[in-house]
Amino acid sequence: MKKYHVVVIGGGGTGAAIAYDLVKRGFNATVLDRGELTSGTTGRHHGQLHCGARYAVGDREIARECMEETNTLRKIASESLESNYGLFVALNDEDEAFAPTFINACLESGIPAEKVPRKQALLMEPKLSEKIGTVVQVPDGTIDAWRLPLQFFAGAQQGGAVIRPFCPVTGIDIEGGRAVAVRIRDLIQRQDERIEADLIVNATGAWAPQITKFAGIDIPITPAPGTMLAVRKRLCNMVISHLHPSGDGDIIVPQRGLSIIGTTQYKTDDPDDIKVPREDVDFLYRCADEMVPEFSKQPFHAAWIAARPLAGKSESIEDGRGLSRDFVCVNHGEHDDVQGLMSVIGGKATVLRAMAEKTVDAVCHELGVQEPCTTTETPLPSHRQYYRKGAK
Amino acid sequence: MSTQERNFRILRGGGPSGSPAEFQSYSLELNEHATVLDALEWIRVEQAPDLMYRHSCHHGSCGTCGMTVNGKPKLACLTKVEDLAAGDIKLEPLVGMEPLGDLAVSPVPLMSAYPANSGYIRESEVNKDAARPEVVDRFERFENCIECGLCMAACPVGDEFQGPAVLAALNRELAKTPERRAEILHAAGRPDGVYRCERALECSRVCPTAVYPAKHIMELRKELEKESGAE
Repeated sequence: MKKYHVVVIGGGGTGAAIAYDLVKRGFNATVLDRGELTSGTTGRHHGQLHCGARYAVGDREIARECMEETNTLRKIASESLESNYGLFVALNDEDEAFAPTFINACLESGIPAEKVPRKQALLMEPKLSEKIGTVVQVPDGTIDAWRLPLQFFAGAQQGGAVIRPFCPVTGIDIEGGRAVAVRIRDLIQRQDERIEADLIVNATGAWAPQITKFAGIDIPITPAPGTMLAVRKRLCNMVISHLHPSGDGDIIVPQRGLSIIGTTQYKTDDPDDIKVPREDVDFLYRCADEMVPEFSKQPFHAAWIAARPLAGKSESIEDGRGLSRDFVCVNHGEHDDVQGLMSVIGGKATVLRAMAEKTVDAVCHELGVQEPCTTTETPLPSHRQYYRKGAK
Repeated sequence: MSTQERNFRILRGGGPSGSPAEFQSYSLELNEHATVLDALEWIRVEQAPDLMYRHSCHHGSCGTCGMTVNGKPKLACLTKVEDLAAGDIKLEPLVGMEPLGDLAVSPVPLMSAYPANSGYIRESEVNKDAARPEVVDRFERFENCIECGLCMAACPVGDEFQGPAVLAALNRELAKTPERRAEILHAAGRPDGVYRCERALECSRVCPTAVYPAKHIMELRKELEKESGAE
């Protein structure tokens, strides 16, 4: 087989997993990022390993995929996960009425949701509010939002991928209706470069329109920033979620010595122009205290904001909550008459490997390659491997 | 919300391109909550699109944004601008890493020094006697060390020293895998090991996640003494 060269633009979690899948299927791969790896949205992720329970009522298929990917990540990247399960807690009558629907939806999605007696829940997590009602246990967990992608990058690098942070894209060369090369500015070497590609994958999330613009294509993405707030004490071991239909400030993720409550959601036009709205901080403290009353008494650690990429145009999105968090791979050869360019849009951190599998399936189809995906079985190298001397 | 204009003097250039390193000034209005990383983000967006610095999580968990702030190693994301002395704020790359240019560095020297087979998960110290889901053997969590390299930058001991982060990791490995005791103590007792430590305690002072590397070095010394006493 001809060894095709695929250039992946975007060094977030999606780009990391795509590069790993590409090299496992015999491609040459280059990953480009304008800054440090995972410096856009991925690294600022809340850090929840979503078993899918949160999505089950709205979309069984997404929930099922989250569950499968949670199990897969536990197999291939356990060092980047705190696998302590999670508790959904009801706080009022409305939540109680919702609980049976929630449990059914989980079970129908293959998620082993299990009602836990209230007393037992308080023995598992003594800092939970005394006011909790029904409690449901699910296989949630915590992700290290930097080290999980780094494990994929380490695997990609081991397979020969070239990973280039600090290389912003400055143009895409189109010849005869086909994207044939990417132009970059290498900030480290301080030189311009042209990189030829058999196929280009745009995995820049909320920044995707800035890349397709170079090919004269407008893709509908709305950056939807959300705020996270961390206090300096680990109050629980399990992820604590409000048992209600999805909303703001309803998940506390423990991580190392921290407890992190999130999130909120807005929409914006420029994913680079985001600042934490101070009212979010007060709001998040209040939400956290409803589930874990000691939360706001802990020392403040950090408040930060990340721009999720939502598929769709800003004017057609209200607050984005109703939008599916599903992932779409757009082949611009079919949609926009530019061959050799694909964009991946949307998605969630937990399903990064599955997003990569679908993307590389599409790459294989486009280039006429028949190689199955093999990224579900072998454990990934340690995150440190990416930076070990001689690893490049 | 009150805002204040602050001036940053940032060391630009340097690294493998061979371009000369020189300070450049950037002024901007900042509110009382702004961190050094926030400031860098806004400087990049509004004034210097090619400014290189590392960042990822923005809350002190990834360890990428270590840099020298007014001469001291710090995480940019956890350093509030308001807490820095009045006057110019001087930013330089972190010492002990490979410079890539501007404030960006490669952590290859640090990551290569870590013991190759050390894990990153430990048992959680929180609610240790709590009930657990049947399927969970023990509550676990990531290690405290975020591999930021601040301790290495602050340590006054020169080269030929494994350094505080690596020795702390060795002591954590000793606690988690006592069956590897001989191998771990051998590594800790090497000429570049714990005996090079001058007990300046700078590592513990700058550590943003309370690893207290100096304490780990002391513990390793004690373990080594036990071994030599037993001979």
